[in-house]
Amino acid sequence: MNGKLLTGNAAAASAARLARVDYVPAYPITPQTEIIETIADWVRERKMDTKFVQLESEHSMMTAAGAASLAGARVFTATSSQGLLYALEMLYNVSGWRAPMVLVNVSRALAAPIVLEPDHNDVLAARDSGFLQLHAETCQEVADLVLMAYRVAEDRRVMLPAIVNLDGFYLSFTRERVLLPEQEAVDRFLPQYRPLHPLRASRPVAKGAAVMEGYVYTYFRYNMHAAALRARKVFSEASRDYERLFGRSYGPVEGYMLDDAEYVLVMSNSFTTIGRQAVKRMRERGVAAGLLKLRMVRPFPSEEVAALLRGRKAVAVFDQNLSPGSGGIFYPEIAASLYNAKGRPAAILPVVGGLGGKQLTPKEMTTIFEEMQAIAKEGKTPSPMYLMRNDELARVKRAVALAQGES
Amino acid sequence: MATTSRFKTLKDMPVEDYLTPGNTMCAGCGGILAVRIFHKVLGPNVAWINAAGCMTITMSYPLSPIKSNWLYTAFASAPAGAQGVRDALDFLIAKGRLPASEDMKVVVVTGDGAAYDIGFQATAGAIDRNLDFYYLCYDNEAYGNTGFQMSTSTPFGASTKTTPATEAFPLGNTGRKKDLFEVWRIQKAPYVATLSNSHGVDFLRKVEKGGTIKGPKLYIDFAACPTGWGFDPKDSVEVEKLVVQTGIWPLKESVNGVVRHTFVPRSLVPVKEYLKTQERFRHLFEPAEKSEAVSIIQSQVNEYWRKAAAAEDLDVRLPEGAR
Amino acid sequence: MIVRVRFHGRGGQGAKTASRILGTAAFNAGHFIQDFPVYGAERRGAPVASFTRFSDEEITERGFIFSPDVVAVMDDSLIVDPLANPLAGLRKGGCAVINTTKGADAVGGARKDVVVVPVALTEQALKFLGKPVLSAGIAAAVARVSGIKEESLLAGVDEELREVGLSEDMVKRNLEFAKSIYGELAPLKLKTEELPGKEELVPLALVVSGEGTEDVTRTGNSTVRHTGNWRTFRPAIDYEKCTDCMICYAYCPESAMSVGSDGRVKIDYDNCKGCMICLTECPLRAISQTREGGLQ
Repeated sequence: MNGKLLTGNAAAASAARLARVDYVPAYPITPQTEIIETIADWVRERKMDTKFVQLESEHSMMTAAGAASLAGARVFTATSSQGLLYALEMLYNVSGWRAPMVLVNVSRALAAPIVLEPDHNDVLAARDSGFLQLHAETCQEVADLVLMAYRVAEDRRVMLPAIVNLDGFYLSFTRERVLLPEQEAVDRFLPQYRPLHPLRASRPVAKGAAVMEGYVYTYFRYNMHAAALRARKVFSEASRDYERLFGRSYGPVEGYMLDDAEYVLVMSNSFTTIGRQAVKRMRERGVAAGLLKLRMVRPFPSEEVAALLRGRKAVAVFDQNLSPGSGGIFYPEIAASLYNAKGRPAAILPVVGGLGGKQLTPKEMTTIFEEMQAIAKEGKTPSPMYLMRNDELARVKRAVALAQGES
Repeated sequence: MATTSRFKTLKDMPVEDYLTPGNTMCAGCGGILAVRIFHKVLGPNVAWINAAGCMTITMSYPLSPIKSNWLYTAFASAPAGAQGVRDALDFLIAKGRLPASEDMKVVVVTGDGAAYDIGFQATAGAIDRNLDFYYLCYDNEAYGNTGFQMSTSTPFGASTKTTPATEAFPLGNTGRKKDLFEVWRIQKAPYVATLSNSHGVDFLRKVEKGGTIKGPKLYIDFAACPTGWGFDPKDSVEVEKLVVQTGIWPLKESVNGVVRHTFVPRSLVPVKEYLKTQERFRHLFEPAEKSEAVSIIQSQVNEYWRKAAAAEDLDVRLPEGAR
Repeated sequence: MIVRVRFHGRGGQGAKTASRILGTAAFNAGHFIQDFPVYGAERRGAPVASFTRFSDEEITERGFIFSPDVVAVMDDSLIVDPLANPLAGLRKGGCAVINTTKGADAVGGARKDVVVVPVALTEQALKFLGKPVLSAGIAAAVARVSGIKEESLLAGVDEELREVGLSEDMVKRNLEFAKSIYGELAPLKLKTEELPGKEELVPLALVVSGEGTEDVTRTGNSTVRHTGNWRTFRPAIDYEKCTDCMICYAYCPESAMSVGSDGRVKIDYDNCKGCMICLTECPLRAISQTREGGLQ
């Protein structure tokens, strides 16, 4: 078998190297740290012609990243979880500067309580920041999406930074086969970055000027929005080129056993693989199950979602995140994409699961399909599912007793 | 320094202006005057990296009052913005992707809120990394842009919007102004200097000297603020003069940690003369003089100059009756 | 009936306080009220605005007043300032209270469909207060033309000026100032009508047709702002006395002084804000000042 065994982190670092990034400002955080360690190694062994600098916080790291992009460098950096939140103020600035760069986020659930394993509250906290977002299911996708992200971000029609997301542990520390493209072909896919109006002695420019009027602000925000929407088309173009050069093709969404599916599960990131397995099991039982994977999260692929979910008996949206007091974050986005669509599914079932990297058993996943079937058959109103098994609850209860019970 | 400088008198101030008229700072603003003079010495090829403050608002779209490059970052991280720009320029020039003529001086410009408080960590990081940049802090001793609240640069006895002098709190701010010069020096920044616009030749020479040093070059300009401090804009430079003559704001520099006073007020003017020029200290004199508070301020100044005089063998006469 | 008042001033003249005085005065008189300033880059001398609404019924409006019944212009130089544009949207039959010494000519016949009420506030402020702070005076003028009782106004002046920390003496002098202005004017019977005009929404595709980045590539273009109209006082160099020592030039915070080819310092009146540092610092007293607007 050709290809190499790489972790998700190694795939991300490798893609940054193939993209010939000029600048990597960095700051360590689990489970991302391996990415910057790997790049630091390569830089110091002269295997990578890049300026690497360790900053004193993620906030500074993102500031340096955006500023370097405005000065004309191709920039890469990575973070996770609390780090992304610490940098969040700067994400809005960097996108407002229209500074293209790629940030890899290795998802990890947010404190408190502090935890190391993934869910997507971290990356989805950045969903309104103006960064494009691409979410990966496999280590292969990590490498490919980083390269695609540069191509889309730097396109003059877009000029927005991008986040490529991968799950901590389930991808970051998991080795699988990855086909890395040849450098020469990558160079053809991704020519040198040509910035618009970079900071220059010969042609000075002011960036990030204050605006004092709401309508001026509105103008620039609408322009960001339009640029982000244009990224959908630019992504498709990039995808065609990518397929021609490397033989792999990526749409904003991906269907699995979808053609004749009556019950469709919507998922994202690495747990999608578990969802596929559940679909297969249901098919074996004779249920017309299918899956829709969200790869592109910003811009949100509403049209694709509406087209692919139209006419289904029921849809379940699996959210590996929780907005306390509301529920999952993708659920309303999917529902909004479908509301005005003709032949929209009669029922959409919200599901929350996998928080803090909580394991999902195949049985747990098949209950989602069973619930969808029940809803469709009985015509009942879906009530949200919050996944937790009885064996897990028993273990939590023991822990709570140890923490708070009488001795 | 005096023997090698191209600046002998104010007449030697370069006549090129890179600050253009029509900025939106208050009339009589010490901060914008500092930017103007600083820029004259640096010449045209500059990238200003700004943190939130009054200066942010003067770069109001679509009008730019600065002919060179400008980047507004955020309140806490202008030095990190300088890092990104410096690193990108160095890398692109080294690789031959940019001609050397595109090189720029990278200058962080912030008020005291960013320098003393919220951007403290980012500045420390840039100093630790020996980043080759200038830092110009226009220090007006409070958060001016938000309406004059206390910062850790606010001196003892000043009334601000968050430390107002009231009957129950008659002194206003009871904290002591942070010694940012010493903090930066102790972090081993190769060059740290204080500036006052009123001492223009000293100012010009220090910026010129910074140009000969690689690494962080950090300047704190005492920037009179007519709006926040409460005095007539026409007296802006006079207030800056007095703060030096009273010895409250010593003009000095540190080269690789060695401190030298660049202007020695031979005979210190009593601090009262300075305090009385500004509304923010009015409560120290009205309805009756709070002589204890005034003498605390005076004795801090005296203590400072006794030590400085001993360390550098300076001839400084303290005010009459000084303890 | 609702009365919508928009105050236009320069930072430091007291526009915000004026809107509050009027608000408190109307509140004291039993009206529903709203008052608020524009928050932005207001700097001493820069154009600023503030608003007061008062009504005998609950107010169902909010935000900036685009169609005022009364505009209060605290500095007649603002009338031609495109950033301030104080007459914009003033209702037909509405009233423009203008601080000016030029009488009704101050508006230059631009609006024949409104009542112009000229009042020389700055002179009176200098007389009563010794400085050009106009809040009490302009509030008094507006209160008078819009029919608010004198005692309600004076209670408003007293309350608001104490609130901003003015001394007993200054509060008293402001009350005298307000009384004097109130007495000078007469109430108006305003019957106003919104100006006709159509507002159309533009499709997003038109808004976002360009690159849409916020870059300013024409750096140093601030000269078109013309901050010269911030000036209260105008400096002038007596070239007979001037020895070209360059001290004024060195300490001009605005770059509003330049050195000509003849080696002499010139003042850029388009943008000089009139801070008068040059006057203070000139060792030879070769710089003098005159009040803008022809007053000495």
